[in-house]
Amino acid sequence: MTLSNSNSIFVENLEKKFGDFTAVNKITFSVKKGEIFGFLGANGSGKSTTIRMLCGIITPTSGTGSVAGHDIVTEPEEIKHSIGYMSQKFSLYEDLTPYENLRFYLGVYSVPPSEWEERIDWVLNITRLREEKNRLTKELPPGRPQRLPLGCSLLHKPDVLFLDEPTSGVDPITRQHFWNFIQQLAREGITVFVTTHYMDEARFCQRIVMINEGSIVASGSPAEIIAAACPGKPQADLNDAFITLMTRTDN
Amino acid sequence: MNPTRLKALIRKEIYHLVRDYRSLYLAFAIPLILIILFGYALSLDVDNVETVVVDYDKSELSRDFISKLDASPYFHVAGNLVRTKEAIDYLDRDTAAVAIIIPPDFMKNIQADRDAPLQILIEGSDPNFAGIIRGYLTAFTEQYNQKLLLSFLNRQGMEKISPPVDGRIRIWFNEDLESRNFIIPGIIAIIIMIVGALLTSLIIAREYENGTMETIKSLPVKAGELLLGKAFPYFFIGLTDVLIAMLLGQLLFGVVMKGNFFLMIIATSLYLAVALSLGLFISTVTKSQLIANQVAILTTYLPSVLLSNFVFPIVNMPKILQYITYIVPARYYIDILGGIYLRNTGFSHLWPSMAVLMFIFTLLTSLNYLLLKKEGL
Repeated sequence: MTLSNSNSIFVENLEKKFGDFTAVNKITFSVKKGEIFGFLGANGSGKSTTIRMLCGIITPTSGTGSVAGHDIVTEPEEIKHSIGYMSQKFSLYEDLTPYENLRFYLGVYSVPPSEWEERIDWVLNITRLREEKNRLTKELPPGRPQRLPLGCSLLHKPDVLFLDEPTSGVDPITRQHFWNFIQQLAREGITVFVTTHYMDEARFCQRIVMINEGSIVASGSPAEIIAAACPGKPQADLNDAFITLMTRTDN
Repeated sequence: MNPTRLKALIRKEIYHLVRDYRSLYLAFAIPLILIILFGYALSLDVDNVETVVVDYDKSELSRDFISKLDASPYFHVAGNLVRTKEAIDYLDRDTAAVAIIIPPDFMKNIQADRDAPLQILIEGSDPNFAGIIRGYLTAFTEQYNQKLLLSFLNRQGMEKISPPVDGRIRIWFNEDLESRNFIIPGIIAIIIMIVGALLTSLIIAREYENGTMETIKSLPVKAGELLLGKAFPYFFIGLTDVLIAMLLGQLLFGVVMKGNFFLMIIATSLYLAVALSLGLFISTVTKSQLIANQVAILTTYLPSVLLSNFVFPIVNMPKILQYITYIVPARYYIDILGGIYLRNTGFSHLWPSMAVLMFIFTLLTSLNYLLLKKEGL
């Protein structure tokens, strides 16, 4: 299989073992540039392990892959520069202001200081945190801090954005807002790799891979997956497909 | 090492420090408390020992003996009692450490050239203390005897007489045998360990507990940059603390460093680096602030006080403990401080201890680097 230029993420036979336990079992898939790609699975299915391998945080036990043109085994450093990652847990510094958090990210990504103000400006706009930029993050009104991590992960203009359950604990209006924005990013050419528990959100994804116990159990567009998992049930939705696929562990 | 990245990490760490004023309080309160506590309370000097006397003789000579004893800086005659029983009560209640019982006919015996026994009781529950008092009392009575002898011989017409062997003892380095002269440098060693290791033991664990470590791993931050960024602000806090301690040592206790200030700063920086690397290592390994704190107290504060030659001489320890002291960094620093503070020794004598500190620092930092590397940094 050759590495196509239009593939932003590409993995082949990717495997991760922790001792005897196989967290990710030789999975193969690819994500096109500018695609919103859903990676779905129950808790402990191997989602986070896969994301961590793709982000260059952990090294695969075997298999190959590339993210934004960089090898996930040999070039983790380059990968970290070309991706944005937002973990499922709120993980910014609450004793810093949004402004200070943004400056920390810019410094760590070694963005030239001449561009800092412009980038900060842009992020404060999209996160609508301009008013609160100099208040400690932990003292912001409820809901506001959650807007910040996405902004931080976009500051350095990454090619690929990894979102690990980005909307857990977020109200429906903010979620709608969030997905509108993600679709806009994808139109601008950013590849979005997202994991989620919310099946109504998964329909925003152009393509989906479902993973269960470390192995891929389904892939395709939302409609294709529903059709394959629940044949002869025109009323079925992604939720039904998900439950069917996740409980079918014996084959 | 990327300078922009390092700057961002250091700046972030300073924000944490400034906003978490408890750490900052600790960082500056610890040296003040320790130096005042240890400096005033921990005196190993024996002087003004409370002494009671029972004088059954009530002669000119017995009174002279008592007043000479009282005049010496080592003893304070707290009571002139009537009966031996009362003196023993004083010892029982620990209100006096020494009881002297002068029997009747003390002066008569001396004048008649007979033995003049004198009973001296010492409260010996602290053997070290009792031993020192015994030494003082032996020296005191010998001196008193000599004076009596000389005045006797003089009265007999012998002009000048001196004992054949005259050992002239001079104490070097700590001429007045003031224990605070080595306690103050010792406190500096403990302050550095507490501030350096105890505070830093929290800061990597905190990233794990808050989930921010996951973020850092996904950022292009290198293990070495993270460690340096974390250690940097604490290094300067540590150095400031040392300067405060040195200043207080001089102002409050008159302990002045005799050696080279530059050498002191170099050696202190080295020891501080060991403390910081130990704290950060504990933090990476435990990943929990609570556990890190406990481990840091157990592995830094206690050995620095107990196994460093600070209060308890290593030579008096059982062999197995003596071997353990070889891995206690404070031991080497206190050795260096003795050299710089009291003996004014130069680098040529101090380098072996400095080399050991350098080795411990390199070892801890390399281990920590590898651990973080394995974690995905």
